[in-house]
Amino acid sequence: MTAIIDRILDRELKKGSAELVILALLDARPRHGYEISQIIEQRSEGEVKFKVASLYPLLYRLERRGWIAGTWVEKAGQRRRRYYRLTRDGRKVLAEQRKGWQRFVAAINRITETGNV
Amino acid sequence: MSEWAQAVRQRLVSHDVDPTRHSAVIDELAQHLDERYAALLARGMAVSEARRTVAEELEDEALERELRRMERGQPPSSPAIGASPGSGVLSSLAQDLGYAARTLRSSPGFSAIAIITLALGVGMNTAIFSVLNAVMLRPLPYRDPDRLVRLFESNPQRGWPEFSVSHPNFLDWRAQTTRWDMLVATFADSVALVTDEGAEMLRGSRVTAEFLPALGVAPILGRNFTPDEVAVGATGRSVILTEGFWQRRFGRDPAVVGRTVTMNSAPHTIVGVLPRQFEWGDDLDVLLPLVLEPNRSRGDHVLTVFGRLKPTATLDQARAELTTIAANLGQQYPADNDGWSVRLRSFYDWLIPEQTRQSLVVLQGAVALVLLIACVNIANLLLARGAARQKELAIRVALGASRKRLLCHGAAESLLLALIGSAAGLVLAGATIRLLSSYGADIVPRLNEAHIDLTAIGFAVISGVASAALFGLMPSWQAARNDAGQVLSDGARGSTGGQTRQRLRRALTITEVAFSVALLVGAGLLVRSFSRLQKVDAGFDVDTVMTARVTLADRTAFDSNAKRAAFWQRVNAEVGALPGIVSVSSGSGVPLTPVGGTATELRVPGFTPPRGTQPSADWRVITPGYFKTLGIPLRGRDFTDGDGPMVGPSVIVSESLVRRYFPDQDPIGKAITPRTLGNRPHTIIGVAGDVRGRGLDRDPLPTIYFSAVATPAFGTMTVVWRSIGEGTAHVSAIREALRRIHPQVAMFDVRAINALLETSFAQRRFNVYLLTLFASVALVLAAIGLFGVMAYLVSQRTREIGVRLALGADRGQVFRLIIGRGVALASVGAVLGVGLALWLSRLMETLLFGVSPLDPITFAAVPTAMITIAAAACYVPARRAMRVDPVTALRAE
Repeated sequence: MTAIIDRILDRELKKGSAELVILALLDARPRHGYEISQIIEQRSEGEVKFKVASLYPLLYRLERRGWIAGTWVEKAGQRRRRYYRLTRDGRKVLAEQRKGWQRFVAAINRITETGNV
Repeated sequence: MSEWAQAVRQRLVSHDVDPTRHSAVIDELAQHLDERYAALLARGMAVSEARRTVAEELEDEALERELRRMERGQPPSSPAIGASPGSGVLSSLAQDLGYAARTLRSSPGFSAIAIITLALGVGMNTAIFSVLNAVMLRPLPYRDPDRLVRLFESNPQRGWPEFSVSHPNFLDWRAQTTRWDMLVATFADSVALVTDEGAEMLRGSRVTAEFLPALGVAPILGRNFTPDEVAVGATGRSVILTEGFWQRRFGRDPAVVGRTVTMNSAPHTIVGVLPRQFEWGDDLDVLLPLVLEPNRSRGDHVLTVFGRLKPTATLDQARAELTTIAANLGQQYPADNDGWSVRLRSFYDWLIPEQTRQSLVVLQGAVALVLLIACVNIANLLLARGAARQKELAIRVALGASRKRLLCHGAAESLLLALIGSAAGLVLAGATIRLLSSYGADIVPRLNEAHIDLTAIGFAVISGVASAALFGLMPSWQAARNDAGQVLSDGARGSTGGQTRQRLRRALTITEVAFSVALLVGAGLLVRSFSRLQKVDAGFDVDTVMTARVTLADRTAFDSNAKRAAFWQRVNAEVGALPGIVSVSSGSGVPLTPVGGTATELRVPGFTPPRGTQPSADWRVITPGYFKTLGIPLRGRDFTDGDGPMVGPSVIVSESLVRRYFPDQDPIGKAITPRTLGNRPHTIIGVAGDVRGRGLDRDPLPTIYFSAVATPAFGTMTVVWRSIGEGTAHVSAIREALRRIHPQVAMFDVRAINALLETSFAQRRFNVYLLTLFASVALVLAAIGLFGVMAYLVSQRTREIGVRLALGADRGQVFRLIIGRGVALASVGAVLGVGLALWLSRLMETLLFGVSPLDPITFAAVPTAMITIAAAACYVPARRAMRVDPVTALRAE
């Protein structure tokens, strides 16, 4: 039973947080897909991983919504890469999502703390 | 190129992603995977494990959804979160079908035409198949119908291959055979039911006690006849009611069993009621016991006989045994039985006439051709559209889509078309069947049983899917075969791949035209037969004459010949005196009615028949005025009321009898000796014109007419009258007149002769209508096909035409060029179609009348018409070609 709840919670949390994660990573500077996946894996110490087949659909979705924009950049001696940057809309969304996330985390904390008493 | 690009490409094959986007996605994902792979190896992971890990990165439903979203024609919207992930073959099938649905939606014009075409083809096929199934394939409503066999006496030398059986011969057969569980004799017999309200004529059948058990039918009330009730010498005064009559006359009263009713002036006891499913001949009212008469003449062939074979016996054994028995009877009773043998036929053969079966098979063949044409047409459409999509397909091949994958797409698209087309076809079939049943229920036996059932649905789906396989795979296969590089480098026109495609389309169009021509020839032959038939001189006046059967229900009041003869004389007098009646008479049978046609042998002094044969003729009993009423020409004189027994027996004979037995002589005053009615010489007093009494498509038989005044007069005759104005207007007056002669007289089966004629035409009309319908559909499809090919040709050649015009070609020349192309295609098709028709038309020879299966008029007219229509179909494309503006055409490149 708990295993199922765990899985659902895990999925929902990831889904809700994935967009936030990506938008946040692009807030600092434009990055390409591989870089994004590397950073996530490193910073989460392997707890959160995005594989190709879930990362890019997410990027494309955010791009379609106009929150991020991808451009091909060619540098001498390198393969061309697609860099994603945060758009103006994306920035607004990020701010909202950050607030929402903090409220959410705070709420969960309150619940779990009272639950421990 | 990147190591992982191939893997990504593979992933994208099933998605119709816009080519520029397509390559971007491959680039981006492949690069990511390359880096990831390199990183894993750098971490010291084994090559095989790294490969597996990276490969797994590509597996996620989210990617699948996203790629689907990227496909062309997709509205931008947020993804369906949590859509259930599919797997394996099913998900790829669902994907293909989804893709196919989008493709079909994106070209509604094409889809509509394809679906309508297919629905027409499948619908008509399913309708005819359902009829065929109901009429010919579904078991008869009897127990073990394949063991039921119809038995005839047979004398082919005298022209009676299948004849009724005489009472004593039947009794001898039944006593001597060992191969049958039961042998049954029946005899159609109308009986007069007399009630306080008057007399009513009932359709009855006299049957032996084995009748119901042999058919496997049990009464729902009461019982079957007992052996006592049918034993020799029994009175035969029991009656079993059919369900329909029980309902109509007794309101389904369960207490009806045991009640007594008066039939033919004698009390009869109701002993049973039959179930609703019971079926025997036309709308039977009652069954009566058939009491066999061992002492009746063996030459008196009256019984309809059938039997149920023993499970251990074969038809051949039964036939061999009965042939021996018949041969012995022939030696024993040479006077009556010499030359007579037996003939056996299965119930199927007997109940479903040869002509009906032949028609249905021809119609099914024709309608299959229509479906084939429909398929060719859709294949043609798909090819045309394929040409438009050629680039896209080529890009997909270039990007690594496998041939199998492309074929799968084609198959999914065709399958979807097939399913929608079949469903629409089923609806159409249902409507068609209702139409056919309402129109043809009297013509085609068991037609009313036709309906859409599981078999029909199965047939529709199978024929739809088979068609899809036929028309669908061809264009995909062709696309898969094309060299992608060549197509892509081929410029906007795509002419290299287009060459093969055009050739294929031309071949398909030719095929279509050929099939249509074959169908049209078939329809043309039937139409010509039908019009020939309608022009045939029936030999009698078909327009204003009415007929009705009249029976003397009170058998005691008319118990002698003289009394009955007097009655029919009074009918002439009383009815003839009614206002508006021009002429009236009675006969034992009138032309085009099934009753009363009876054959007899005869001796003609001075005529030596060929060895082993005996002169024979049909005979009828009539009252004076018969020829005048029916408008049959007569030389010599008619009977008069004075031609009584005292004057000496006299007859009137038909022209064909004279031609056959009195060639180049005047027969009037000479004598013939018909075997029937006393076997004595009769003087010929008149010669009547020939009458096609069995239907216009059958030659008139030599006929002898006896005077009702002089011969044993009948208790039931057919009265015919000619009147001023509507014949039906006098029916009640005539009925009143008959009642005045005697209250217990029943009049029934009132019909106009021209209605009888219509009935005799009905089967042919049915065939003509259907085949003409099918041929018209085929023609329209072929014209559409031709139009499509030519229109496409013109659009492909706009530049060439522009060049020609720029170089000074005449616009008329261009117009003629395009028309000429179309006509050439149609001509090749027409020639092939004529060849096909020459071969096929022989199969329908028996359905023709007065027209050779190689009828030159039809064979000349049909191809001419086809080519004319082809030219018309090319008119619009040719006009368009003519109006090409050279400047625009050249600039467009």
